[in-house]
Amino acid sequence: MLGIAWSLSWVLPALNLIAFLGALATYRIKKGIVAAGFSLVAIFAAFVVFWFLVSEVLENGFLSDQMTWFQIAETKIIFGFYVDRLTLLLLGLITFVALIVQVYSFGYMKKEPRFGWFFTVNAFFVASMLALVLADNLLFLYFAWELVGLGSYLLIGFWYERRSAAEAAKKAFITTRIGDVALLIGIIVLFKSTGTFQISTIIDYAQSGLIGSETILIASILIFLGAMGKSAQVPFHVWLPDAMEGPTPVSALIHAATMVVAGVYLVTRMLPLFEISSTTMWVVTIVGMSSFLLAACMAMVMHDIKRVLAYSTISHLGLMMFALGCGAASAAVVHLLAHGVGKAILFLCSGNVSHSLDGETNLMKMGGLLKKLPLTAVLFLIGSISLAGIFPLAGFFSKDEIISGVLDGRGWFFVGVLLIGTVLSSLYLARLWILVFFKNSQYQTEVQHQPNVFMKIPLIVLAIPTVVFGISLAQFNNSFFGLHAWFIEYSQHHFNFLIAILSTLAALLGVFIAWVMIFRKFSENHLMMITFKRIEHILIRKFFFDDFYQFVIDKIILIVANMVALLDRKLVNDILVDGLPKLVYSIGRIVRVFQSGQISHYAFAMIFFASLIFAGWWLLVTNT
Amino acid sequence: MIDLVHFQLASAALFSIGIYGVLARRSSILVLMSIELMLNAVNVNLIGYSSFTDFGMDHRILGQIFVIFIITVAAAEFALAVAIILRLYRNLSTVNIDEISSLKG
Repeated sequence: MLGIAWSLSWVLPALNLIAFLGALATYRIKKGIVAAGFSLVAIFAAFVVFWFLVSEVLENGFLSDQMTWFQIAETKIIFGFYVDRLTLLLLGLITFVALIVQVYSFGYMKKEPRFGWFFTVNAFFVASMLALVLADNLLFLYFAWELVGLGSYLLIGFWYERRSAAEAAKKAFITTRIGDVALLIGIIVLFKSTGTFQISTIIDYAQSGLIGSETILIASILIFLGAMGKSAQVPFHVWLPDAMEGPTPVSALIHAATMVVAGVYLVTRMLPLFEISSTTMWVVTIVGMSSFLLAACMAMVMHDIKRVLAYSTISHLGLMMFALGCGAASAAVVHLLAHGVGKAILFLCSGNVSHSLDGETNLMKMGGLLKKLPLTAVLFLIGSISLAGIFPLAGFFSKDEIISGVLDGRGWFFVGVLLIGTVLSSLYLARLWILVFFKNSQYQTEVQHQPNVFMKIPLIVLAIPTVVFGISLAQFNNSFFGLHAWFIEYSQHHFNFLIAILSTLAALLGVFIAWVMIFRKFSENHLMMITFKRIEHILIRKFFFDDFYQFVIDKIILIVANMVALLDRKLVNDILVDGLPKLVYSIGRIVRVFQSGQISHYAFAMIFFASLIFAGWWLLVTNT
Repeated sequence: MIDLVHFQLASAALFSIGIYGVLARRSSILVLMSIELMLNAVNVNLIGYSSFTDFGMDHRILGQIFVIFIITVAAAEFALAVAIILRLYRNLSTVNIDEISSLKG
């Protein structure tokens, strides 16, 4: 069992790593076609290997193999992979979306001068992301976690000639780094109290009460902070909208479908640990809930098509965290898949739109594209319906799962909050679709290029699971594909008609509001319009998060930095570094007076002091 | 009868003359010679002490053998010192110690 299992789980990241190295060596050759070939072949092979892995895991329940990397006294540092159904789900999502996105990029990035480099970094990213979900211990997970962050940094800053892209890359890297430090501390705290990095062992220890409850609280909060950074949860969400400076396929792959779910994955993986501390679960719930609502609000007013999708991503990640905080792990993971695929469609469609309009991303300058880009419009609609949670696509079922999970875990109040969020999320998606594809714009929107075949086929392929996944989820507990029971080991919730009807109504209400807001003209002085303007002002400023951070950086951090710099200049530089030679110099000035250069003076001093010593010695000897 | 004290006095006298020479002379050759005087004062002392100890006869001669060695070594050393002074003279065109003061602080 272990022999083949080992080689299979190992093959996935290794393929992509080899592709990365190959592409790194060749990305300048032939406009990068060779590098792109490496990357594409590797990800396709990984996707194929994934299915072998699925059959293997279904037979055995789980796979795990390890080797000792090194050993210090009693402590073994282990390099190991662990594949269970949760890992499988993520592997499937990553390989599938990455494959689609890379094929898409082949068309989308065609005219890019750094075509090869794009695929090189993509292969690197996929390799580290696969390693992240496969890692069976926290140390390796952390390594992969950082590598994924690096990949994200490189791809956000892909057009580094643009200042905004370089700034966005920096912002993403630094913001997630704050979370990463917390994660590292959390891992070390756990290591200190258990002496191991193995996730399963740590969870066993925690469940059998071998770890103190304070330690669990601290460690789980710290790990959650790491997850918040990576998954862009409030208040660390500010980097994700800016990350849209990267190429659109990157946004689809990294900042919607895979990397940002790493935080959700980590929390899911560590959920047995989190569940021990009810405080942590509340923190997860509250953070998830506020991200869900705040980001949905902000998504309603953004003018940039990709930013709307970015806030929508934050909102949905918040929803997953919310579900996790209520203990509904299965629901969160199902929603993770539904969202990953749906959001990838939306991003790639928005890539098509802006590609057709020569890079235009402003919503207000689009409109009436339904006739000009019919396929994109329909696919975008499918993705939106799924994410808005309207029957019968994937998002509907996963959202229902979450609602019943929240109902079981927390009660009706939180379900109410969730329904409000559902209204908001269908509202912004409906607004997006109507403004881009349906409503006629006063601007002339000339379609410059039609999307080529590389940009169409992957989208259609991506739409299939959005539809099929939904239907297969509908067979909740019986075994039509049995997707649900098949993948998830955690608690299962039953289909609840009341909830299904409520959530559908909420979603339709959102669509209705969007419709009314766009097509019904209210006079400027109407009370509602005035209120709207006020709210919109706050929303456009993104709840002042960025302003607040800017303020903190400008006022507090810079002042502290200036003080430290002053200390450095005055104490370290002037007193310690410059002061020491000055001291030596002034002593030297005194001492040099005695250096006459006359040998006879030296000789006299020598003889005089020698005699003095001798006389002293003599007195001492004779007196004793 | 020559006693140990005579040796000591002769040695002390030689040593003092040497010190005087080192301190007072200006020519480096003469300073060098004064140093030789001090060295020889030590030699005289050595011979004196070796003769007036109560070792056996063949051990008493040891001091004189030492002295011969010392004189030999001193001669070699002196040659070296004179060579240095010659270089000094080549470079500075003087052997006057007061003028050789490049190390002045």
